[in-house]
Amino acid sequence: MGIHPVLRIPERVLKRTAVAMGDAPDDELVADLIDTMRASPGCVGLAAPQIGVSRRALALDVTGHPKTKRCHGLVVVFDPVVVESSGREVGREGCMSVPDLTANVARAKRVVVHGRSPEGEVLAIETDGFEARAFQHEIDHLDGLLILDRVSSLATDVFRRKVYQEPRG
Amino acid sequence: MSGPHHYAVTVIGNDRPGIVAGVTRALFETGCNLEDATSTILRGHFSMMLVISSDGPQGTLEASLAGAADDLGVMITVKPVEEAALDFDAPTHMVSVYGADHPGIVFRISDALASAGANVTDLTSRIIGSPEEPVYALMMEVAASDGKGLEDLLTGIASEIGVDVSVHPIEADLL
Repeated sequence: MGIHPVLRIPERVLKRTAVAMGDAPDDELVADLIDTMRASPGCVGLAAPQIGVSRRALALDVTGHPKTKRCHGLVVVFDPVVVESSGREVGREGCMSVPDLTANVARAKRVVVHGRSPEGEVLAIETDGFEARAFQHEIDHLDGLLILDRVSSLATDVFRRKVYQEPRG
Repeated sequence: MSGPHHYAVTVIGNDRPGIVAGVTRALFETGCNLEDATSTILRGHFSMMLVISSDGPQGTLEASLAGAADDLGVMITVKPVEEAALDFDAPTHMVSVYGADHPGIVFRISDALASAGANVTDLTSRIIGSPEEPVYALMMEVAASDGKGLEDLLTGIASEIGVDVSVHPIEADLL
């Protein structure tokens, strides 16, 4: 196990509503999420469905990203829920599961995310800026939503991009 | 030559519901495969461009589309095109230009881009504002190696022709 291929559309698992993690730990899933995220150049977050696991878990690390404001370092969250959000900002997002395109997506500027750590600790993460955007993007994956489901104008919101490199391994 | 042939298809006509369905039905029934397509409404005219692939004879495709054109009251053209490389210059900058409408805006800006070796990868323009004071708004995605140089170049041209221009990098964050 370890590094997994990142699944791309039209893989059906990407469109499914993922199943709650519940209270059980899942060390293997946590390691796979982190390893795959780390192995993917430029990747700052990964949701379990992207590696074929339809469970509500995500890994995220926006450390060092130029747009990062508040930063919680490497976080893995089980059953994350956005409980508060405010503000609205459009930003251009790329997604490893949607090759060749990027899209302008409006996201809340500030969010509070509740969930659990892999060790079972209750998490309440308040953040903003790029980390808030990343949380919203990854939580969308748990609900089967991709950037293409979030655009409001095809003409101005969807852009071609160079294909991101395949994850190593 | 083996394998499917590629064709460029253009459609233009007075806009109404059902044109996309009518054209794509004709293509589907002729066994064509749609590849990339773009469509918009230009000053009330429906317009669409498609690159399609087809194993069948060109004559069958042309006859089928001619029938659709008659039924829909639109003009359709079909031209064989060579298969092109699929790698492309990814756009690096968005160029916005706007100002009082007058002839030559697109030419002067795009000529400057061409001279700088920048490739226009997408372009949309609209005449907005009132009939008395029409404003021309032009948005382009370009693939350019030097964004700063591009901005300086276009700012110079823009002041010559009396329009505003802005250049900003296209930066997508991989999430």
